[in-house]
Order: sequence, then C-alpha cells, then structure tokens
Amino acid sequence: MSVYSLTRLTQTYNGRTVLDIPRLEIRKDHIYALVGPNGAGKTTLLNILAFLQPPTQGDIHYRLKPVRYTSSKLKSLRRQVILVNQSPVLFTTTVFKNLEFGLKIRNVPKQKRIRMIEEALDLIGMEAFATVPAHTLSGGETQRVALARALILSPRVLLCDEPTASVDVENQAIIVDIFKQINATKRITIIFTTHDRFQATQLSHRILMLDHGRLVRMGYENVFSGTVDQRGDGKALLNIHPNVSLCMESFAGRSVQEVMRIFIDPDKIKPVSMNMEHGAPNVLKGRVQQVTAENAKIRMVVDTGVQLTLKMSIEAYRASRILAGDKIDLAVPSDAIQFIEGD
Amino acid sequence: MDLLIDSFVSAILLVFSLDPEMVAIVGVSLKVSLCSTLAAGLMGVPLGFAIAFGEFSGKRMMITVLNTLLALPTVVIGLFVYAFVSRRGVFGLFDLLYTQKAIIIGQIILIVPVVTALTIAAISRIDERYRQTALTLGANRIQTAWVVFREARFGVLAAIIAAFGRVISEVGISMMLGGNIKGFTRTMTTAMALEYDKGSFTLAVALGIVLLGLSFGMNVLFHFFQGRTRV
Repeated sequence: MSVYSLTRLTQTYNGRTVLDIPRLEIRKDHIYALVGPNGAGKTTLLNILAFLQPPTQGDIHYRLKPVRYTSSKLKSLRRQVILVNQSPVLFTTTVFKNLEFGLKIRNVPKQKRIRMIEEALDLIGMEAFATVPAHTLSGGETQRVALARALILSPRVLLCDEPTASVDVENQAIIVDIFKQINATKRITIIFTTHDRFQATQLSHRILMLDHGRLVRMGYENVFSGTVDQRGDGKALLNIHPNVSLCMESFAGRSVQEVMRIFIDPDKIKPVSMNMEHGAPNVLKGRVQQVTAENAKIRMVVDTGVQLTLKMSIEAYRASRILAGDKIDLAVPSDAIQFIEGD
Repeated sequence: MDLLIDSFVSAILLVFSLDPEMVAIVGVSLKVSLCSTLAAGLMGVPLGFAIAFGEFSGKRMMITVLNTLLALPTVVIGLFVYAFVSRRGVFGLFDLLYTQKAIIIGQIILIVPVVTALTIAAISRIDERYRQTALTLGANRIQTAWVVFREARFGVLAAIIAAFGRVISEVGISMMLGGNIKGFTRTMTTAMALEYDKGSFTLAVALGIVLLGLSFGMNVLFHFFQGRTRV
C-alpha cells in the first residue's frame, strides 16, 4: 500500500520552479533516502510531505485519500506525519517537557505520559536527561531528543531532514540504529535526506535522487556539468574540469559550447589494467581515495580532478590488487556517459 | 557646589529616615505607574502578539505607526487627554481631571505603543522553526501561538519593564492631568519640579535618588530578562 501518492506536483517560488515531480509513490513501512545536491528541492519536498506547506500545483493522496488544505484536516494529517528538521529546535524548557508537548496536546493521561517519556528516553539512551534544560544539550543530544519527541507520538511517517549531518560519529550510529529499530518494530515509514551515499544505501530500501527539483533515475554520484567542444576528428569533447575531458561519439543534438549535465555509470568504469570490452575508451589518471564494500560490490572513489566512483565485483577487485592511495588509470567508455535531460 | 553637597547629604538622610511626605509621594508614583503598566500590558501584549503573528495587509504600516508613537511627547498626550476629561470635554461628567485615574489614562496611552512595539520585536525574533515544530507535532493554531509566546516570554517581560521605566519617570502627563495635588496626585517627578520651583532642593534630590534607584532596579531587571531571551 502506498502512504503517499504524488501526481504532477510542482512548487514554485517567485516564478522559479524548485520542485517538479510528475509521479511518486511512497510505499508503507519502507525507508526512503532522499539524496541530491544542495538546492535540489529535498527540504521543500519534505515540507510538502509533512503538510507544512501546500504545493503550488498537483495532487497529493495520503493513504489513498486526497489531501485537502483546510486547517482541521491538516491538524489530523500532521498528527500522523512528523518532520524532524536538519537543525531541530527544542523548546526552552526541560527535556521531559519537550517530550511531553505532543502527548499533552493529544490529551494523553499524565501517568501514561510519564511512562511513555521514560520509554522514549530509554530508546535514545538518555534516561538521565529528563530534568536537564534542553538548551544545555549538545548537537547530537538535541538531535536525539528531537527524534524521541517525534517518535513518542508513534507517527505513521517520520520525515527527517539530514538527521546525521551535524552530529558526531557516535550519535550518527545511534540515530541509524533507532531508524532501523523503529522501522522494524513499529513499522514506521521513514523518509530521510542525506548527502551520505553510503548511509543511504545501507539504511534505505529505496533511494530517491532529486536534481534541480526533479526525480532522476541515476545515482547521486558521477553527475557532472560541462561544456561541449568539437575535436579535430569531428567527435564531441565534453570538458567537465580544466584537466578532465571526455570524448563522445556524437554531440547528441548539442551544439558547441553548450552547457550540459551528464551521468557516468559507475558500473561501466573500469581500471585500465582490467580486460576492456569497449573500444577506444577515455582514459583518466587518478588516485584511489576510498574503497568500501557495498552490498555484494566494491565501491571505489578515484580523484581524477573530479571524483569518479566506480563499482566492481569483489572478485574483480581482489584480482586487480588495487589499494587506497594507489595511482591508477580509469577507462570511461562512451556508453557509460548518459545525458541528463531537462536542465 | 556647597548647595549641591548640602542638599545631597540632607537628601540621603531624608531617604533613610523614611520621611512621611516622601514616602507618600513615592507611594502615589508607584501606584499610578503600576496600574498604568498593568493595563498597558494587558492591552499591548495581546495586540503586539496579534500583529506579529498575524498576516494581514497594512501590517508593515501599522508597525511603522507604532514605532512613531514611541516618540509621542508626554505633554501632547496630556493636552489630548485633558481635552476629553476636562469639564467641557466628552468625559467631563466623570470628574476625572486632576485624579490618579486621569494620570493612569494618559500613561496608558503613552506606553501601549511601547509594550506593543517591543512585544512585536520579541515575537519576531523567535526562530520560525519553533512554529514549524509545534505544527508538525500536531498543535493547532492556538497551541502553536502559545509555543511562540512561551519562547518570547522573557522579551515580553522586558517590554513591560521598559514601559514601567517610561511611566515612572514621566512628568508631563502627571503634571497636566494630575495637577500635582499633595497627598493625592503628587508623584515623584511632579514633586521634584515643584520643589525646584520653590528653591528647596532637599526633597527634590531625595526623590531623585529614589527615582534613580528605581530606574537602576528596572534596568537590572530589563537586562536580566533580555539576557534570558538569548539562551
């Protein structure tokens, strides 16, 4: 069952379209990671999903019913969906009273409130903080209390804007654990934004990539802007960095000096030493910056002037004997390069 | 110089001896100032909150007018209220002229803009995220407004203290609408003006010391609450 169904949704500010989603279904009980560069429309989408702002145009169905933006309907919807901001604010009172706020306005009896607050503090590992003034907490503790303040209300959907962006590694791990736990036990649908591709892959069932307000199918990495040039042999040359140019078979309908955006498929980039199946690839020199295991594959980030990500099987990686810090050559076949339309 | 030193020493003695006349004058001053501040608070705080929280056309103009009214001279208010409460005025039959009530009315007009403008400033300083947080946690409009008000509470309190400081030290309204009647409408400032006219400085300086002490106390409170808003 879908929790949200968005159709032809657009959001414009002063005539500028910041969000344009023809169709999007958010499925119940799933964890979604919303990734994309700054200004891609992630926070705007979260605000719309949290019913804090109506879209300029388009329809939203929540649990199969169309959303009506009247104050009584909105209050009922907002009591099912809670947004935790990137930098959440806690009310200037104690941690206990912060957690109590939502319960109090839902007329939960006092004894039950106390019990629920104790459980929530236990969930975030802050049992001893009930009477502590909220403004004395650290950034990570604030984020955890804000999360507990939302979770104590047992929402159907939890929306989190960069929940781990401004917290230390220890708090990041705690927050990730909480997400996994509440999704598994309370079956809360979670949609969170992140810049951390690794976290998005590890934590979510599905990654939604936003770019310039549009949902795009390709991954968040390996997206570049560049200008088109013409080579002596008539082929197109795309300059994505002063020192990085990629040769393409055709102009794909572009004219010289036109600015365009491309996506390079990480599965099709290969270290040169490996057996090449594609003819006349672009060869880029770089240094391996990061090697991580990601599900059944190895993900490698190589600095070639721009950061290129490639993926290979564990067997291929073992055979290549490449280590972090090594200088390698990368082959980027022309069929790995895809144009991003609609910019 | 001797005159000043002699007056100052005598004034200190007067203050510490709790001179009955001085105590009566201070009592009248505190009574009218507290009444007018309370009434202005009851009017100005909700008004300021409604303006700050509401979205309506002419909001900016209203704030500009309020800020202009902050500079309203007390003698203008005195004259204005006099026209209404004098025997020939619309409210002449209530016999308000030269009473404490008349002073209170004038002082309310003086400080309602102060309380309102400073309340608007206090509310506007509150981070938009507090409103958004209350809404997303399921609060209705009134509950959301209460959250914002709670966050601005120290700023609002500071507005009321600033208003009290304004009325306790004003002289124009008290003189024109109170008439400086001994034991009835004689306030600290009108008494000081009278004593100065008589060339008797001791009581004037004593009242000045009390007034300065009160103003100092108000400022300490004001800065204390201003500081709390930054927490």
